[in-house]
Amino acid sequence: MKITLKQTLLASVVAVTTAAQAEVNVVSWGGAYTASQQKAYQETYKDPDSINFINYNGGLGEVRTQVESGNVTWDIVDVLPSEARVGCDEGLFEELDRSAFKPAADGTSMDDDIMVEVPNDCVVPQIFWSYVPFYQEGTFSGAQPTTIADFFNVKKFPGKRGIHTWPNALIEMALLADGVAIKDVYKVMSTDAGIDRAFEMLDKIKDHSVFWSSGAKPLELVQSGEVAMSLAYNGRIGAAVLSEGAKFVTVWDGQVLEEEWLVMVKGAPNRDEAMDFLIHASTPESQAGQAKFINYGPMRASAFEIMKAGEPWFHNGKNIMEHMPNRPEVMARSVIANPDWWADYGDSISERYTAWMGQ
Amino acid sequence: MSTAPATVDGPLITADGIPLKESLQKSLRRSKIRAVLLVAPPLLFLIFLFIIPIGNMLTRSVDDKLINEVFPNTFEAFEAWDKVSEPSEEMFAAVYQDLKAASKTEIGKSSVRMNYAKPGWRSLIKVTARKIKKMEPPYKEAFLKAEGRWADTEFWLSLGIMKDKRTMGYYLNAVDRTYDFDKNVIHVDENRKVYNLLWWRTIQVSIIVTLACLLLAYPVSYLLATLPMRIANLLMICVLMPFWTSLLVRIVAWMIMLQQNGVVNDTLVAAGILSDENRLAMMYNFNGTVIVMTQILLPFMILPIFSVMKTIPPSYMKAAQNLGATPTLAFIRVYMPQTIPGIGAGCILVFIVAIGYYITPELVGGKDGRLIGNMVAYHMQRSLNWGLAAAMGTILLIVILVLYWIYDKIIGIDNMKMG
Repeated sequence: MKITLKQTLLASVVAVTTAAQAEVNVVSWGGAYTASQQKAYQETYKDPDSINFINYNGGLGEVRTQVESGNVTWDIVDVLPSEARVGCDEGLFEELDRSAFKPAADGTSMDDDIMVEVPNDCVVPQIFWSYVPFYQEGTFSGAQPTTIADFFNVKKFPGKRGIHTWPNALIEMALLADGVAIKDVYKVMSTDAGIDRAFEMLDKIKDHSVFWSSGAKPLELVQSGEVAMSLAYNGRIGAAVLSEGAKFVTVWDGQVLEEEWLVMVKGAPNRDEAMDFLIHASTPESQAGQAKFINYGPMRASAFEIMKAGEPWFHNGKNIMEHMPNRPEVMARSVIANPDWWADYGDSISERYTAWMGQ
Repeated sequence: MSTAPATVDGPLITADGIPLKESLQKSLRRSKIRAVLLVAPPLLFLIFLFIIPIGNMLTRSVDDKLINEVFPNTFEAFEAWDKVSEPSEEMFAAVYQDLKAASKTEIGKSSVRMNYAKPGWRSLIKVTARKIKKMEPPYKEAFLKAEGRWADTEFWLSLGIMKDKRTMGYYLNAVDRTYDFDKNVIHVDENRKVYNLLWWRTIQVSIIVTLACLLLAYPVSYLLATLPMRIANLLMICVLMPFWTSLLVRIVAWMIMLQQNGVVNDTLVAAGILSDENRLAMMYNFNGTVIVMTQILLPFMILPIFSVMKTIPPSYMKAAQNLGATPTLAFIRVYMPQTIPGIGAGCILVFIVAIGYYITPELVGGKDGRLIGNMVAYHMQRSLNWGLAAAMGTILLIVILVLYWIYDKIIGIDNMKMG
């Protein structure tokens, strides 16, 4: 008995250490999002056990600490558009050989297959996600909110509003609600008067606002009736509707689309294995596969074709296209966030927004 | 200082023939080495996990070296410029040289720094650096072709803020001030003032929480110290159970209790005390932060006060009453003064933990319950402005040291009892 226990312990220690050696650490946002990556990328990978997912809360603080201290333990990180740029500029990410990635079925190279301009050589396509308003069926009697202006109109649609504690997307939405054309949003935002205009619009909902900072919160707020309408990440709303049968209605107007990229940390301990996994995760098939489990839009155009042809594509037999943030019908009424603008003005706008929140 | 009697011939000798002084020194040295070895692990621990990081933080809060190392020619040309006329060809040539010589990473890092001085630098440098390889003289023309914003003299003027290797800019930023282009200290725009309000609010919350903890903890500690052991132990478990429970679990429990449609509001509405429209806003604001922080920090107050009360013999109170004091008077004049070391320790402990708190305000603070700790976290993790985070951290450290000093002056640190 004693010997068997010892042997088991020894065996498990050996197993743990060997597993730790070969493991590629992939850092992502957790929840349904990480689950979709695990299903679409990890489970289809040739060696699923070599991939280890870790949760984080965003930001490059940890990555910078690891790179600067020379003690890198993360291999791959799932990052937001501004971080994808800043991190690459600062040398926190590896620049990757673009020719190694798999082209689309018609031979289009990966970079040309991506629906937006590729900002640098560090990034590997992930998804599009968006900030979008939603409410619960039955919240409003009579006319229902259909535009972004309705979100800012508490007279027509009374009740509290859930908004996030940082200014991204809110400035764009406020201007859209105030009648600025989609193509002019960043032009207007680049002037002081434009920013003032956005804040005047935000003032209209300020006293009716509940602020959230974690992605699950807006769903709770709307579900519990704490707020009548809230902004949220489109994937969270879709997951609740598609998988849990929640009665949420998304207002597909004036959403702000954001990119999401995968990057490799500079000096990643398992460089080759990580690269291999990145190549696998970025194929059109993997990208489309992820949409089986979450309604974030693949970045590669060819992945979209696979999904369209395969409807009903969602894993439980529901149609997914109507929940995609970057489907053609809603793209016409969407702002594609401009991370370079935010990299320039984000700090000063954040200060002003924080001041505005606290006043 | 020698008081030993003078000897007749030479130094004192020990039994084994070695001079006493040497022998003493030897044994002293041995015990000294042993002491050092014993102390070494915690000392190294302190140095590597406390002193070096704090030193690093202090340097970061004033460091402006990088930019001066990456753009030496530019700053030289800037110094020669009269700040009035249009930027000259030499100035553009200097930027060209610097951009050409610098690595991509250096350019990336310094453009981030330059963006703090004037928003827009980041993309200006980035776009220009991308085209630098193909540029040919005259550089002024080439630069203006690459990015029209180079004609904006404000960008050039803002170099004046960054020309020294040390800067107080981050500290100024942390108290809602900034440099103008001539390095005079000025206030930031009214609508961008964030930090002074947050400093004030942080201190306010910390004081309220400390006082609330004291008010709640004192009677509880008294009960714990005076009740029979069996009941006191049970009560102690009630105090410690939440202390051992995960922080997040406790915060979420409070959310369920206090939110707009939470247990407390629902009960009050059902009981007819509140109407449905006038539900109390106890969560996602200042109140939420104070309530939850008080509950979480309460054990830090109870435990030191309790441990001090435990040592006060009950006979003192009896003696005071025997000598004619009423129970109240005896309590105030005899019992309370003896608990001051515990009160002091509890207050300092709670205040110091409260002033740097950020998880609770982040989750329940909403729009007006966020504290300076949230800004430090934000700048460490999101905006990556570590200089500013370091400056705020340093200011916090100074506030705490000052408080500690005041405490020492008024009550005396030797009087503090942690238990």
